[in-house]
Amino acid sequence: MIEVSQIQKRYGSSRALDGFSLRVEKGELFGLVGPNGAGKTTLIKILSTLIRADSGVARIAGFDVSADPLAVKRVVGYMPDQPGLYQDMRVREFLEFFAEAFHIPGQRRRAVVDQGLAASGLGARAESFVEELSFGMKQRLFLAKTLLHSPQVLLLDEPATGLDPLARVDLRDQLKRLNQQGITILLSSHILADLQEICSRVALIAEGENQRDSAGSSVIELHDRDASQPRLYEVGVLRDGERAGQLAGSVAGVKVLHAEPARIVVEISGDAARAAEFLRQLVTGGTQVVRFDRPPATLEQRYREAFGEKPR
Amino acid sequence: MNPMIRKELRQRMRERRGWILPSLYLLTLSAVISFAYYTQASEASAALQGWQIGMALFLTLAYSQLALLLLMAPIFSAGALTIEKEQRTLPGLLTSLLGPVQIWWGKFAASLMFILLLLVIGIPVLSVVFAFGGVGPWEVGIVAFTTVVILGTISAISLYWSSAFRRSVHATAVSYVTVVLMTVVTLIIFGMAMSRVHAENGWHSIPLKVRAPLYLNPLFFLTSALVPKNQLYPEWFTCLGAFVAVAGLCAVLTLRNLRRSGDIA
Repeated sequence: MIEVSQIQKRYGSSRALDGFSLRVEKGELFGLVGPNGAGKTTLIKILSTLIRADSGVARIAGFDVSADPLAVKRVVGYMPDQPGLYQDMRVREFLEFFAEAFHIPGQRRRAVVDQGLAASGLGARAESFVEELSFGMKQRLFLAKTLLHSPQVLLLDEPATGLDPLARVDLRDQLKRLNQQGITILLSSHILADLQEICSRVALIAEGENQRDSAGSSVIELHDRDASQPRLYEVGVLRDGERAGQLAGSVAGVKVLHAEPARIVVEISGDAARAAEFLRQLVTGGTQVVRFDRPPATLEQRYREAFGEKPR
Repeated sequence: MNPMIRKELRQRMRERRGWILPSLYLLTLSAVISFAYYTQASEASAALQGWQIGMALFLTLAYSQLALLLLMAPIFSAGALTIEKEQRTLPGLLTSLLGPVQIWWGKFAASLMFILLLLVIGIPVLSVVFAFGGVGPWEVGIVAFTTVVILGTISAISLYWSSAFRRSVHATAVSYVTVVLMTVVTLIIFGMAMSRVHAENGWHSIPLKVRAPLYLNPLFFLTSALVPKNQLYPEWFTCLGAFVAVAGLCAVLTLRNLRRSGDIA
């Protein structure tokens, strides 16, 4: 859905993007992470047609962002890091203006605006002036505006900046919902916990280039997209880790990676039923299981490995 | 209707200056016309006929109206694009399906409409002039048209400065400097150039290069409109061409700046 190949952008003598490449599949919620000045905002601005790349190719839904910006604008919703709102407009007027700016015909416009108000939870504030809204409400309003023309792709640049914890959770839930509706989302953020929770993959970027972690990967898989891929499980036990390890080794499709007295880590091939069967065999085999879960890929750890410990 | 125009007009009318400026304009215009009337009536009432008083009042009104609007036009247009940058609303516009031309036209038309509104609310004051006679629809029409062209050009120039700067205060200041350059500095240049020229056979014997700065002078443009219909050519038409060319150039440069403004948006 989003393809970026060897994209370059210079500002005078400094290189904002220096051959960065990226591929986001349709329906993905994809993260973009890197230190300040890494080129994240420049990349998102190029994809949203705000600026032109010096070289390289960027395509969204098959449309070249340089050659066919109008087609790209039709399929993309862009939310900058500091969304600007007309403070002296009413909430409904603001949405109506942008619905018109996206050429939504008159008879459908009102329905689209009502839908946006309802989805953002701002229906009761439709006649309020934008300046009267809280920061979180303003963010929701901007997201509603971004969705007015039913984009296939959302480009979000640090959308959680300045939000309080509850508003952040709310935004996260909204993005998950939108992604479930089939919208592809490219999300740039410094909040690793958010990316960890909602993104399927995260690309690393530094100094305008693809950054690789210690494993040599520039894209971190956070949630398994392919059910047939082996998955890691961590099993907490009561002092009989060695016995649990032996049991685990005898179960088909289960490979013991690590065993301690109170914990074993295994890799299970196959679907969740295989994992359930493994757990049943552990318990019936007499192992006292106190915990059975899948350790998440620790984005923070991978980030530290890729970018070092010191802030840039 | 271009959604930009509706948005701009709505926002302008909601601002305090949306009613303060027209009120001040009307008060000032009324004060000027009253002063001019009493001056005419008291000093030379016996010597002047009604149509002469009417013409004098009309000229006073035309020039004062232009002067007032020259002061007000940059207020409406110099901040039109910078405010979008200051409020960070420009990316929203640029990533919508509104093209730079629609954005420019929306801003320009809204500025011009506000000026037209001022011209319209000045009509009751103008009606005083009709009471004395001496002024017909042609004079009123050509003066109104010339004033609109002048202010359209000033709006286009101010919009250009608005696209070139990031802060409204800078764009407004430079717009006023441009108004001063056009109204005062061109006159000074003309005066200085004239002091070295001996033009004994009237206006048309003055070399074009000496007259040239005046074709960009709003007061000269208005003066060139106050001649009989058959004498509008060549001066009024030359001014019209010069003002329209400047406005067109500014529009092109503003569109270029708008297309490049994603970097600062």
